[in-house]
Amino acid sequence: MEVESNLLIVVIDVNPAQKYVRSDSKQFFNCVDSVLTFCNAHLMLQASNKACVIASHINQSHILYPIEEREGVTLKPIRQVDGQYEVFLELEKSVRSQIKKFVMSDAFTSFDSTRSADSSGNFTTCLASALGKALCYINRKERELTAGEKLNSRILVVSGSSESTAQYMSFMNVFFSAQKLGVIIDACVLGPYATLLSQGADITGGIYLRPPHIPGLLQYLLWVFLPEASLRKQLALPPPVPVDYRAACFCHRQLIDMGYVCSVCLSSK
Amino acid sequence: MALDDTEGKEYRWETGYEKTWEAIEEDAEGLLDTAIAEIIEKGRRRRLQERRAAGNVRLGIMRHLYIILDMSSSMLDQDLKPNRIMSTQKILEKFVDEFFDGNPMSQLGWIGTRNKTAEKIADMSGNSRKHVEVVKSLNNYACGGEPSFQNALEIALSSLRHMPSHTSREILLIHGSLTTCDPGDVNATIMDLSKNGVRTSVISLAAEVRACKAMSKETNGTFGVILDEGHFQDLVREHIEPPPMAGKSDSSLIKMGFPQRNRTDDPGVCLCHLEDTSVSKLAPGGYACPQCRSKYCELPVECKACSLTLVSAPHLARSFLHIFPLDPFEEIDAIQCICFGCNKSLPDKNKHVYQCKQCRRRFCLDCDLFLHETLHCCPGCSVASLCK
Repeated sequence: MEVESNLLIVVIDVNPAQKYVRSDSKQFFNCVDSVLTFCNAHLMLQASNKACVIASHINQSHILYPIEEREGVTLKPIRQVDGQYEVFLELEKSVRSQIKKFVMSDAFTSFDSTRSADSSGNFTTCLASALGKALCYINRKERELTAGEKLNSRILVVSGSSESTAQYMSFMNVFFSAQKLGVIIDACVLGPYATLLSQGADITGGIYLRPPHIPGLLQYLLWVFLPEASLRKQLALPPPVPVDYRAACFCHRQLIDMGYVCSVCLSSK
Repeated sequence: MALDDTEGKEYRWETGYEKTWEAIEEDAEGLLDTAIAEIIEKGRRRRLQERRAAGNVRLGIMRHLYIILDMSSSMLDQDLKPNRIMSTQKILEKFVDEFFDGNPMSQLGWIGTRNKTAEKIADMSGNSRKHVEVVKSLNNYACGGEPSFQNALEIALSSLRHMPSHTSREILLIHGSLTTCDPGDVNATIMDLSKNGVRTSVISLAAEVRACKAMSKETNGTFGVILDEGHFQDLVREHIEPPPMAGKSDSSLIKMGFPQRNRTDDPGVCLCHLEDTSVSKLAPGGYACPQCRSKYCELPVECKACSLTLVSAPHLARSFLHIFPLDPFEEIDAIQCICFGCNKSLPDKNKHVYQCKQCRRRFCLDCDLFLHETLHCCPGCSVASLCK
């Protein structure tokens, strides 16, 4: 008998320079809470479901959950508290403690320095790196499957950062690899329109959504992103956003309708 | 792997006696798995390095490839299971998918030859779905009679001749028959091919034919005779990667349009299905040419009204991976760390750790292979590029 399980990878942007965090830092906790609840809801749907949470920051990305056991470091077994499912507790504890560690250690030092600010003064998150890690993780889990097991993987990006063109190539590589592996990438954008993520969602067959009301994030996550890809065609989901597929020229980094492309290296002018 | 070095020596039996089995050693637990994995891995690494060593070869990114299929009675032979033509069909189906994955701005065309004549099965186009259907529809063509390679080559040439000079012109001939029925001198056709810079490669399912070998040599193509089905697949797969540009080719700036998806719901008739009245109908959506506003269902396509090449930015980006391949990682001694890609604690059973030369992050073997073969970018370096 074939055992199917679903792997959900949530890439959460913990960059303090996100607009919604800067305007009201409490929103960030709401966002983390929503993502945790969303992961729990996913785990609850089926006992074999798996989850993974990856944080992406200004200059690093980290897998927050599951925590890898290293030699010499033994993890404390988690006891049940108030009858709560242990996996929920483990997920919540590790994500919260690691985000805290993240914010305490690095956020403020790198936030002050200008080294990660790009030319326009924006602080960009290394989402492409986090997505690359997510695909590596999926690749590993696929390999670890035993015969008769099947894994459906998908990635959800929750981000409010502005994008940088420096990551364009890495993003495209990630999207096409995901398309090849049959992994869909959903994007839940909490900031301005994200061109690259909307292209990624379109290429991989995911959903791109910009919730109009961020305090209600959890509702949007549960309604739109919880159902598996196979169920989605039965649902009346928000209509797809028109995707901007114009190329950026190499001279001014501007999006163009018509341009000249070098036949050898394919740079557009 | 032993087949790779047939280049210099003419025939297999002229080479020395090789003890291929001696390379396989048992590991500490008496298993062969690790040894085999190592051999496969070494082969992959060597291929990566070979490509690197070739230096900055100009690749033909915009390719035009005609596949000439022998549909003669010899394709019904059953030395490949269930028979030659069906086995070919199965392999080509996979090829089409991978071809368009690796060369999104390229075009394919199909020519069949049987009963001493040649016919065009499908015109040049860049739509992968259409080509998969073409391969499936090969069932409708009954194989029979003798092939005519010269006729088939002439048809391909007549169409490739008009392709712009900055694109690559290629022909892949797959034949099972050892004879051909030609109206004239095939050498003249070969000269014509080489004059027009058409790279002609041949895969033979039966045996080496001198004319075919001479043709591939003359036009800088490759020539291969299959050993079995697996080898057949390898030979076909060699044509997925863009070949270095044959002969002189211009580097020019090509005007291209990047159309956007129509935002309105107003229906319209697309230009791509205009001729075929059975398919053509009013439908919303599609892409509008930025120059003349004519509508197309799919990209990439050349505008029929103003002959502007229409592509989308991801098409361009996908071709980039041939231009910027990822540098190979270096192998370092096992140290205790965590794989930067999949979070696995290292060292694992592979005993080796791999390090990116640029960002100095460490990876496990599986991630190393995954990054080089599928992802083509290093997650560590994309962080580093932001920190510059």
